Amino acid sequence: MKTILSSFIFLFFVAHVFSAEIVLQNPKVNEKAPLFSAVNSYGERINLTDFQGQPVILEWSNHECPYVARHYEEENMQSVQKMAQEEGFVWLTIISSTPGEQGHVSPSLANDLTQSRKAHPSHVLLDESGEIGMQYGAKTTPHMYMIDDKGLLRYKGAIDDIGMGMKFFSASFANATNYVATQLSDVKRNKKLAIDNTVAYGCSVKYNYD
Amino acid sequence: MKNIFLTLSILWCAVLLANPVETGHAKASLITNLQSSSQESFYVGVRLQMQDGWHTYWENPGDSGSPFEATWKTDAGVIIENVSWPTPQTIPYPPLMTFGYEGDVVFPFQVFRSLDTELTEISLDFDFLICADICIPEQATLTLDLTSASSSDLLDQAIDNLPTKLVKTTSAISGDELKVVFQSPKEFSSAYIFPREGNLFVYTPNQAITAIEDNIFEITLPLAQEEVESFSGIISLDGQGFQFEEQIASSGGMSLWQAILFALIGGLILNLMPCVFPVISLKVLSFVSMGGDDHAKIRNHALAFVGGVMSTFLSIATALMIIRSTGSMIGWGYQLQSPVVVGILTLIMLGIGMILLTNINVAAGLTNIGSSVQNRNDYSGSFFTGVLAVVVASPCTAPFMGAAVGYALLQPSFATLPIFLSLGLGFAGPYLILAIKPQWISSLPKPGPWMETLKQFFAFPMIATALWLMWVFMVQTSGDALIQLLILGLSLGLAIWMIAAFEGRWKWVGLILTFIASIQIFNNLPNNTNEITQSADADSWNLSIESDLQANNQAYLINFTAAWCITCQTNEKAALARTSVQDYLAEQNIKYIKADWTNRNEDIAIGLAKYERSGIPLYIFWKPGMRNSKILPAVLTEDLLIRSMQ
Repeated sequence: MKTILSSFIFLFFVAHVFSAEIVLQNPKVNEKAPLFSAVNSYGERINLTDFQGQPVILEWSNHECPYVARHYEEENMQSVQKMAQEEGFVWLTIISSTPGEQGHVSPSLANDLTQSRKAHPSHVLLDESGEIGMQYGAKTTPHMYMIDDKGLLRYKGAIDDIGMGMKFFSASFANATNYVATQLSDVKRNKKLAIDNTVAYGCSVKYNYD
Repeated sequence: MKNIFLTLSILWCAVLLANPVETGHAKASLITNLQSSSQESFYVGVRLQMQDGWHTYWENPGDSGSPFEATWKTDAGVIIENVSWPTPQTIPYPPLMTFGYEGDVVFPFQVFRSLDTELTEISLDFDFLICADICIPEQATLTLDLTSASSSDLLDQAIDNLPTKLVKTTSAISGDELKVVFQSPKEFSSAYIFPREGNLFVYTPNQAITAIEDNIFEITLPLAQEEVESFSGIISLDGQGFQFEEQIASSGGMSLWQAILFALIGGLILNLMPCVFPVISLKVLSFVSMGGDDHAKIRNHALAFVGGVMSTFLSIATALMIIRSTGSMIGWGYQLQSPVVVGILTLIMLGIGMILLTNINVAAGLTNIGSSVQNRNDYSGSFFTGVLAVVVASPCTAPFMGAAVGYALLQPSFATLPIFLSLGLGFAGPYLILAIKPQWISSLPKPGPWMETLKQFFAFPMIATALWLMWVFMVQTSGDALIQLLILGLSLGLAIWMIAAFEGRWKWVGLILTFIASIQIFNNLPNNTNEITQSADADSWNLSIESDLQANNQAYLINFTAAWCITCQTNEKAALARTSVQDYLAEQNIKYIKADWTNRNEDIAIGLAKYERSGIPLYIFWKPGMRNSKILPAVLTEDLLIRSMQ
């Protein structure tokens, strides 16, 4: 019994080491979205499976990133969040910045940011280890994912079609096509999206790469 | 915070309106190589001297980041264009990868102006993202006074170092990887492919590279998407960049099962190809001569024949896989690129022809040497007829077969083998059926003297095939070598005759004679020395010709052919060389291009691989308006050819 237990502990340790390996996954659209579990800004444990039967949006964020900052300053992100929630989506804002790096937040700072920016996330998840980010292959902030109520990943990529390039800082959000906002109803109907995989743009996710 | 920064830097620039400009984490300046005021075209460069640990990005920044934006303030009559991005470097932030520049970098632009414009000053807004762990958008408004600017060596140097055009690549999707084969223009110790299009690949710090030949290498890139239609970018060899660009032929979505089915059908049709038909007919005749009574015997002979066919296909597949594992580009019909093989096949065909015509019973004669008792149940004859049938079939590609074999050779071994076995099964199919239902042989005409006549007649297609191979041999080598081959043919004939006609000691003389002659030819056979000259009516082919012609909106028809490919030659006579076809090509302004694979040619092998083919014939057609070039049928007629180009 003792050996079984210790080998279990050993296996768990090995598994943990391997899961911490720096490999960015590449989940495929229209397949099962990777499951995860994380602690939110109120210290509660949140599982993706908690939202079974509901469509979910994941937003990778870093409040100090100039790209994210502009989306929030001009209340573009908040309006998409509101729209999504009215359509019955769960909105999870995920912060994968490692401690000491740009965008890393304490639970209380996360809540302050939600309040001061008048944001509408269902939960803000703290992913200090970057585990969820790597599971989803999150590269930039913002980086968006849409999951339908059957748990299938329906969209991954940029929030809109402004894309990479310095023109972002002068482009108008009103004239851009927002891939998330415009495809909410198709995700609700469990349809394959017309545009389901785009190049995300923004700052790099500040993983623990040292 | 960011706003403060932007405002600050804009203020900063507005106040100074100068050159250089401190942007925060870099010093930006505008330089030129203008030497005299009479130059209509010259270069300007934006020089960015970044602080240690900071970087900016290439046109594809990788997993994150942004390329710069240059907004020129120009008058009418002046055009300023981005020439080419300098060769980037990898800037890894594991698990992310970005592509860009560190330290001191110059981005060159070309200026065109008409001389009547008075151009004294050039200025631009340069917006760029500069990053260390964090990213900051910075901006500089740069102005250069052309009347007082001195020509900068730094800019000339930067222009010299720009990635040059154009290295040839050939890529094929294999599972979830893209294999990029390229011909290296120089020696190098490290290589990296920077893809221009975003989202196609998973970017890794190192890319797996294998040497295929002296200067041919293969880099494997993990794909982020299942389909890639075209891709371009820069191959960096020790930091020196080479541009590449290519369309990737779609796999046509062939699955393993489809390939196996195609192989089966192709193998069956192969029986009817001009080079195989006589040999096969002989086997059928021998079955007929056995009569309808002895079913067990027919079954055993048919099975022995099938066994010969299958084991030969198995050996070919194994040999191809071994050659492939050494990294060589291989193809069907590849063996005929060696004059030695062509020579041996010529002698085999000649020998068969002579035996048929003179009705010499060599087998009986040879058996007499070994033993005086003729073994009536010796099935090795049938087995070797099977082997022989495959050997003589090797110059041919039947419809369906090309696609299947091409697919097979690009697949891992577990998929290659079943496809080749299926090909063999198709080829041996009729005999397999005969083995199962030997009574069906009775439905063929009864044996009789007509068989002898038919047998003699079949000598002529064999000799014709031999003549064909002689021509191939001559194209590959020289007229002198051909005469040597024919002399060997003569002594072979003599030996065959002696074996059949004499008893005892003379038979041995015959065998020794053949043996000596064989050694002679092996010593004297020249290697490929002849350069294949292109016929005048066709343009010669090169690896980049398709992209070049498509860029020029020029319709084209490419004919992948070889002297040893009989199907190709038949198509040429039956369709391509016909005046109606030639007229149509001229009328529609379709460029006719020949890729001649008579001798070994790595480029053509790569070109074929692009279409997932390893054998010929292959006909490629494209005209303006078509998205991708199209593969025409392997067997052509005038009508079919013209219709498929309409």
